Amino acid sequence: MTDKPNSAQSFGRRRFLQTTTAGVGGMALGSLFAPLAARAQTPELTMWWWGEQELPGLQAYVDASVAAYTAATVKPMLQDTAVVISQFQTAAAAGTPPDIQYLWNGIYHMESVWFGYLKPLNGLLSDDTLRASNPTVLSNFGGNTYRAGWYPLPMVWYYNKDLFDKAGLNADAPPRTWAELLDACDKLKSAGIEPLGGGMQDGYWAEWWMSHAFVQTLDTAGEAVELFIGDKDFNDPRYHEHWVRLEELRTLGFLNKDMPSLELYPGIDLVVAGKLGMGQSIGSRLPADSKTTNGRIGSMVMPVFGKGKLAGQPIVDTQGLGIAEGSANPEAAAAFLEYLNTPERLEAFHKATGWLPSSSRFDAELIGDASVKAMWKAWGQSPNITNVTNLMPGQFYEQAAIPTGQQVVQGTLTGEQAGELAARVAQEWREFNPDLVEKYQQWVVDLSK
Amino acid sequence: MTLSRKLTPYLYLAPMLALLAFVFGFSILRVFEFSFKMVRGIDGPWIGLRNYRLVLSQPLFWESVRHNLLLLLAIPVMVAIALLLSLLLYDRLRGWKVYRTILFFPYILAIPIIAVVMKQMFQFSGPVNEVLRWLSLDFMALDWIGSTDVALWTVMMLIIWRESALGVILFLSRLLSLDEALIEAARLDGVTWWQRAWYVLIPQMRGVIEFYVVISVITMLSAVFAYIYMMGGGRGGPGTSTMVTELYIYNALTRTSLPGIASAVSVMLFVVSLALIYLLFVVRRRAAEDGA
Repeated sequence: MTDKPNSAQSFGRRRFLQTTTAGVGGMALGSLFAPLAARAQTPELTMWWWGEQELPGLQAYVDASVAAYTAATVKPMLQDTAVVISQFQTAAAAGTPPDIQYLWNGIYHMESVWFGYLKPLNGLLSDDTLRASNPTVLSNFGGNTYRAGWYPLPMVWYYNKDLFDKAGLNADAPPRTWAELLDACDKLKSAGIEPLGGGMQDGYWAEWWMSHAFVQTLDTAGEAVELFIGDKDFNDPRYHEHWVRLEELRTLGFLNKDMPSLELYPGIDLVVAGKLGMGQSIGSRLPADSKTTNGRIGSMVMPVFGKGKLAGQPIVDTQGLGIAEGSANPEAAAAFLEYLNTPERLEAFHKATGWLPSSSRFDAELIGDASVKAMWKAWGQSPNITNVTNLMPGQFYEQAAIPTGQQVVQGTLTGEQAGELAARVAQEWREFNPDLVEKYQQWVVDLSK
Repeated sequence: MTLSRKLTPYLYLAPMLALLAFVFGFSILRVFEFSFKMVRGIDGPWIGLRNYRLVLSQPLFWESVRHNLLLLLAIPVMVAIALLLSLLLYDRLRGWKVYRTILFFPYILAIPIIAVVMKQMFQFSGPVNEVLRWLSLDFMALDWIGSTDVALWTVMMLIIWRESALGVILFLSRLLSLDEALIEAARLDGVTWWQRAWYVLIPQMRGVIEFYVVISVITMLSAVFAYIYMMGGGRGGPGTSTMVTELYIYNALTRTSLPGIASAVSVMLFVVSLALIYLLFVVRRRAAEDGA
C-alpha cells in the first residue's frame, strides 16, 4: 500500500511553506523596495559650492547638513576657485547646471542672471528668510532677488590698541573723521610707529580702498554704475577724491614703506603683530586675530572724508547661494536653502567654522569673543551698506581700480591722473562691451533704490 | 608597390591623426572663429574684425607687447652666461659635476616655487635689501617688486637665472660630443683659453646656440606667464608694469569675460610667433649654406 499523502497535511505544509516563503520574501522585498520607492520619490539635488578655501570648517558643515537633511538627497561638490563662475556657466549653457550654486556678490553672479542661468529666489524662498540672509542690493535685478546670503564678510579697518596706547591715542575711540585720522597718523608717526597701510603687491588692498573710500563719494550704489556707463565721469573731482586722499596719505609719509612689495595678508599681519597702527582688513579674520592679541585688535569704519550718503556706514559683503534656472526641482532646492537658515543650522555653521552665518536670525549671544561680538553688532546687526567694488566690470577692476591704487601709493600717479585713467578705462569698457552697457543701464534702476 | 600597401601606414596612423586633429586642430579653429565673434558664455554673434580693432587701439595691449619685446633683451645675456658657464664646466675643473648639478638646479625647480622664494627675498624689507643696507649700499636697496620702474627688470633677472640653466644643459651636451682631436690639436698649438673657445669651440656650437635662441624667443613671447603671474602679484603689477600679452589674454578670458578679445590676441601672438620662428629658421638655413 502506498501511502497516499494526506492531502490535507500535504496541502497544509506546502501552503504553509509557500505562504511563509511568499510572506517572508514579500516582507523582505517590501523592506528592500520600500526605501527604494521612497527614495525614487525623494528629490535629488546637486549643490556646487565654494568657501572652504576662505573659511576652513565649511566642508564639515556642508557634509553634516547634507547628511542630516531627509527631504532630499543633496550631492555637494566643492569647486576650485578658478572655475566657480565658468564651470557653472558652462554647465548652465549645456543644460546641466547644479540645482544650487554658490554665488559671489554683484557682477560675479549678475552676468549669469543676464544669461538667464539663475532663477529669482523671491517666490521660492520665504521673504523672511531671504531678507534675513542679507543678500544685499547687488543681488537684485529687474525687481527680483537672485541670491540668498550664506556668510558675511564685514569690511573693516583694524587698529592696534597697544600702538594707540603707545602713541597716546584713545584706544576705545578710534578716529571717525579724516581730520582725526590725520591727527592719529601724525601721533603714531611721532611715536616711531608706521601709522597706516598694509600690503598691495597683489592688488587687493587697492580694491579695498575703493570699497571703503570710493563709496564715501556716492549717494547710492547705482551712482557707481553711472560712472561705468558714462552718465557720470571719473574726471569729476568728486569721483576721484578717494585717490586724492590716498595720495595725501602717501605725501604725508603715513603709509608703510614696504606696502608696494607686500601682499594683502602679510600687510594685515603687520597690524596684528604691532608693527603698523591701522590697516584695512576683513571681519572673518577677527576671531583669530583677536585671539592672537588677547583682544587688542579693534575694528573701525573708515574715517569719513566724503560727502556722499553712503559715507561712514559699515560695509558688509556676503557670499551667497542661488538656484539655477535649469534646476529640475527648484522647490526642493529652495527647501534645502530654508533648512540651512533654520536656527539650528545657523548655530551649527558657527560651531563648525568659528565664523558667522549671514542671517539676522543668528543669535549673537552665541559669539564668545567680545571683539567679534562687538564687530558683529556694529556691522551685521546695524544698518550697513554693500561692497560697491562688486559692481565693477572686470575690465575696470583689472585695468583701473587696482593699477591706479598701486601707482598712487608709489607716487607714479596723482589722484587726479588716477581719475583720468579710470575715465579712459571706463570708456574702453563701454566700447568692448556694448551689450553689457545696456544691462548695466537696467541694473541702475535696482541699485538706486 | 600596390596602392593598398602604400595606404596601409596611413591607415594605421589615421586614428591618432584624427585624435590630434580634433584636440589641437579643432581648438585652434575655434580660437580663430572666436576672434571674429563677441563671445558671451560659450558663443556669440559675428562681429568681423571689431575685436582686432579694439585690441589694437588699446594702450594696455601695446604696453604688454612692449614688455614682451623688452624681455627679448634677456636673450643675449642668457646666451653669454650659458656659454661661459658651459665652457668652464667643459674644462672639467675639480668638482665640475657638483657645479653642473648646482647650475642645472634652477631649471629643475618649478617656476612658482622659485618665484615665491624670489618674492620673499626681493621684498623692500627682504633679505636682499637687508644685506645691501648692511653693506652700506643703501642706494642699491630698491623696491625690486613693488616699483613700476624696477619690477620688469627683476622678473627679467629671474628669467635669466632660470632659463640660462637650460642653455648650460644644451651647450655642455654639445661640447661633450665634440671631436677631442681638434681641441687637442689646438692645445698643442699653444692657443689660449679664449682663443680655443672663440675659434675652436663656439663655431662648432653654432647650431645649438641658434636652437637655444629660437627657443628663448618663443619663451619671451609666449611662455613667461608663470614668471609674470607669480612675481607681478597675479596681475602684471605693480600697476601694469609687468603686463605681457599672455597675461593680457588670460585676463581677457577669465577676469574680464572677453573670450573674443582673448582669442584675437591669441591669434596675433600665434601668427607673430610662427613668423619669427620661420624667419629664424630661414636665417639658420642661409648661414648653413654660407658655411657649406
